[in-house]
Amino acid sequence: MSSEIGRDLVWRVPVGPWAIALNPLTLAAALGVALGLVLLGLWLRRGIPADPEAPPSRRLVLLTAFLEFVERQILGAMEEGIKRALLPFVATLFLFVLASNLAPLLPLPGLVAPTRDLNVTLGLALLVYALCHLYGIRVKGLWRHGKSYLEPLPVMLPMNLVGDLGRTLSHAFRLFGNILGGSIMLAVIFPVLVDLVLRFRWILGVLLLLVGALALRALARRGKARAFRVLGLLWLGALALFVVHIWVPLVWAAPAAFLVGTGAGVILNFFFGVFSGTIQALVFTLLAAAYIQMAVE
Amino acid sequence: MQITGAEFVQAMKYLAAGICMGIGAIGPALGEGRIGASALEGMARQPEMANTLLRNMIIADAIAETTGIYSLIVAIMILFVV
Repeated sequence: MSSEIGRDLVWRVPVGPWAIALNPLTLAAALGVALGLVLLGLWLRRGIPADPEAPPSRRLVLLTAFLEFVERQILGAMEEGIKRALLPFVATLFLFVLASNLAPLLPLPGLVAPTRDLNVTLGLALLVYALCHLYGIRVKGLWRHGKSYLEPLPVMLPMNLVGDLGRTLSHAFRLFGNILGGSIMLAVIFPVLVDLVLRFRWILGVLLLLVGALALRALARRGKARAFRVLGLLWLGALALFVVHIWVPLVWAAPAAFLVGTGAGVILNFFFGVFSGTIQALVFTLLAAAYIQMAVE
Repeated sequence: MQITGAEFVQAMKYLAAGICMGIGAIGPALGEGRIGASALEGMARQPEMANTLLRNMIIADAIAETTGIYSLIVAIMILFVV
């Protein structure tokens, strides 16, 4: 397992005296995500009615809701003009990072999250850094933008430069580390969890049977005879299954492993994939917007 | 059992990665706990500010997390790269 985590497939392409390392899995996944987003955009655009007076279609409402979310939650309290200029970039960045983080949820062999590769996240962070300078120069002018590096004192110039470098690096490392760490946690926890649950599944069985017995007692006390009879039969069936299960573990091991593996996979993927991936996409975009705003002010 | 030099180095790598990650996780955990507590206090006091507070809390969490992410990357490098 550890050999799978550390070493991705790498092609070394010789270019003159150097060798360029290409990660084909990352490249393919990133291009796939980008292509998927382009197709999504085309599909959404086709659904917009040509007549602006016409009642809005579903896709238009979806698009508007998404853009409003980006404008309100991510761009927040920026100036109106710069907000309008940044909205397409920030929305695209958010969608790309989000789709990249969620990509490994698709059951395709060899599909890794493109953001699990430092090259992708560093590229995105450098893009944001370049935009910081671009918007800083465009809004404040070259002179005032350059002068902001000499504030509060000219002596602070090296500090400001190192600060820029550290900010960009931490921006890239944060996304990369979170996604890589999540995928490692998934790879480490999943077998352990499945093994634990399978080893101690009789405890789960006893607990479920106990809860069932308590529920039956409550039904009997309230005098619900019919429900008691139906559920009581079910409970007896579960008890019989449990006894067979303990006696003949081999028969039940495979289906039990399948069920437990599916359940654990759903729960773990939801936490480390959906939850963490969405939060990290939001954080990456929020920080990008905050950096650009800092450069503009 | 004779322990070779390479095995010793490998064992020390595992130890170093564990220590690196364990100590590196303390700071971000304390920091994020403080951030979350203050944000919840603020939200309880002014529920109408909850959205703004949540956004700023996520940014502050991400910044507090940075050192933890650095130690994660160092631990991964110790394990797989060095």
